[in-house]
Amino acid sequence: MIPHGVRLEQQKRASLKNEIVSLPSPEDLPAPPKIKPLKKGAAAPRILSAAEEAGIADEFDGMMLERKLSLFASRKTELLVACGFDEDPYTSGAEAVLRESAEDVAEGLWLAAKACGAKERLVAASSRREARRFAACCTGTAAVAAGNRYPARTLLMQKLRRGGKKAEWIGVQACAALGAAVRGECRNETVVTVAGDGVRRWGNFRVRIGTPVGDVLAAGKPEKRVCLVAVGSSVTGRTVTDLSLPVTAATRCVIALKRPPRVPAHPCVGCGRCARACPAGVLPWLVYRELEGGSPEALRLFHVEDCVGCGACHTVCPSGIDLMAAVRRAAGLKEGRDLHETE
Amino acid sequence: MKLSNASPPFLHTDVTVMSMLGDRIFALCALLVIPTVRYGPRPLVMAGLSVLICLVCELLTGLMRKEGVPVTEWSFAVTGLVITMLMPVNAPLWLPCAACLFAELAAKAPFGGFGRTPFNPAAAGVAFATLCWPKQMFSYVDPAEPQWLPVWGECSVHTAQSAAAYLKSGLKPDILPFDMLWGDMAGPLGTGAALVIGACALLLFVRRAAHAETTLCFLAAAAALAALFPRIACSPLTSVKYELLSGSLFFCSVFLMDPVSSLHTAAGRCIYGAAAGGLLMAFRHFGAYEQGAVFAVLIANALSPLISSAVGRARGWEGSVYG
Repeated sequence: MIPHGVRLEQQKRASLKNEIVSLPSPEDLPAPPKIKPLKKGAAAPRILSAAEEAGIADEFDGMMLERKLSLFASRKTELLVACGFDEDPYTSGAEAVLRESAEDVAEGLWLAAKACGAKERLVAASSRREARRFAACCTGTAAVAAGNRYPARTLLMQKLRRGGKKAEWIGVQACAALGAAVRGECRNETVVTVAGDGVRRWGNFRVRIGTPVGDVLAAGKPEKRVCLVAVGSSVTGRTVTDLSLPVTAATRCVIALKRPPRVPAHPCVGCGRCARACPAGVLPWLVYRELEGGSPEALRLFHVEDCVGCGACHTVCPSGIDLMAAVRRAAGLKEGRDLHETE
Repeated sequence: MKLSNASPPFLHTDVTVMSMLGDRIFALCALLVIPTVRYGPRPLVMAGLSVLICLVCELLTGLMRKEGVPVTEWSFAVTGLVITMLMPVNAPLWLPCAACLFAELAAKAPFGGFGRTPFNPAAAGVAFATLCWPKQMFSYVDPAEPQWLPVWGECSVHTAQSAAAYLKSGLKPDILPFDMLWGDMAGPLGTGAALVIGACALLLFVRRAAHAETTLCFLAAAAALAALFPRIACSPLTSVKYELLSGSLFFCSVFLMDPVSSLHTAAGRCIYGAAAGGLLMAFRHFGAYEQGAVFAVLIANALSPLISSAVGRARGWEGSVYG
């Protein structure tokens, strides 16, 4: 069976070469609040309130940790996975945090699992080597290697859920922040990767949430000819034109490029790469063809509602077709919205 | 620093339409080496003329559609080169040009151009030339008399029967297996050197510019039918050897099974390939011409919506793919 997902060329080595660098906090940002240290034997409600007090947000989706864990508790989660890898080929913040704050991650994961009632804990690392490295310093927590195909997190969770477990995930930065709450530390900060051909110094930078994106970019020593700055992810992120915008918990990376990548648009050539790449079993080529026909039939838009928005289809399409947008439009159509409304 | 807006993704895999077509063009150019060494620059001139005609047609149709100069991809070069490969080296130069004109103006442009063609344009062009000028299409230079052919003029050379013609008349071809592997036999310009075609196929499969399953099922179906129903009095294995290495079967299984006019699903492609292989053997048994590969491919192209629908239903999709 051909595995789903797509193998993307990893660009993390340069940013992982050095340790995480802490950037000075901007003067206008208020000092992080003091919180009461969290006792080791704290009950679930206390852990949740500590997470809320510390303002911890998950770095992958920006969701507040307390809300996320409450949701997991209501879903009766059995296995809680800490994602210690970045599926985006440019971003390496999670990997760097897992290397440098393994004990905090293990501690935070233990607390998070207790808060949501999960019996089992697992740390997912980017490779077997990283998993072994983590397991060597934190013996109480199992570690596995996530696959090397994009979107690795979705594919890993599918694999775990196929095993019959109710599995959910949180980010390692959120875990580490919860682990630090045991010591009464409020980490109002996030690790952001600066990468791309528009910067001379690739690396991971620990910055206060609220720091302007421009300050983070400046730490990477940008070239003069940078024309595009993207945040979030190189696959699904967004561009910023105003560098005074603040870094959020979900910023994760600042990618500076000298020129935007352009794939000349062509009609679909029927290579089938998009269907192989899709982790949700959508047939993007078929959806696109249906929409292009002008009168799409909702019955033929298979599994579009399961789209996870990973953008793997668009990334692999040799014709440069925005298949993710097509699938989103189709999902809207299936929900009963008008075709033009979904555009 | 002047920043611009762009939509994601900000990276892309290396495979693009241009790289896929580039791989095909490279593979087709590799097939020109042996005929050029053997017959001089005439094969190169034929190929160049064919590509030029296809390019001119592409430009004209673009201008007629008021799209400006729409040559953003090189599919015209693939069409021109495939047509050249399926021509005899001694064919008059107007013959590939006529085939190219038909391919571009009748099989490609009316359907909207590249990416929208229900039939393989090169197969359509060669089928048109076969139907209109069968004598010129099946008259091959005798490889026993190697000579450089005139580049532009008419070729008055000794001709010989191809292996496919021998098989069609129920005779065993008097050709050594080694010669068949290197294409040292009478036949179309680029379809003889099985070893080179095999190497090109490997390149295309590795670079994912062609689907291996289509080619393999095509060859498997043709081989099975050749073993079960040999056209000459010989062992099944010998029949398979001659059938696969004669005519344009091997070449067509690699270069005419393009993704655009075939199917999107792996199961569909397997059935499509097997259908094309089976049809080709049927043409060899019952057809009027010694080579029927292009007709088999065109019929398989016509069947592909049906195959796609059947695969969709078998998979339990809520409706058929093509209705």
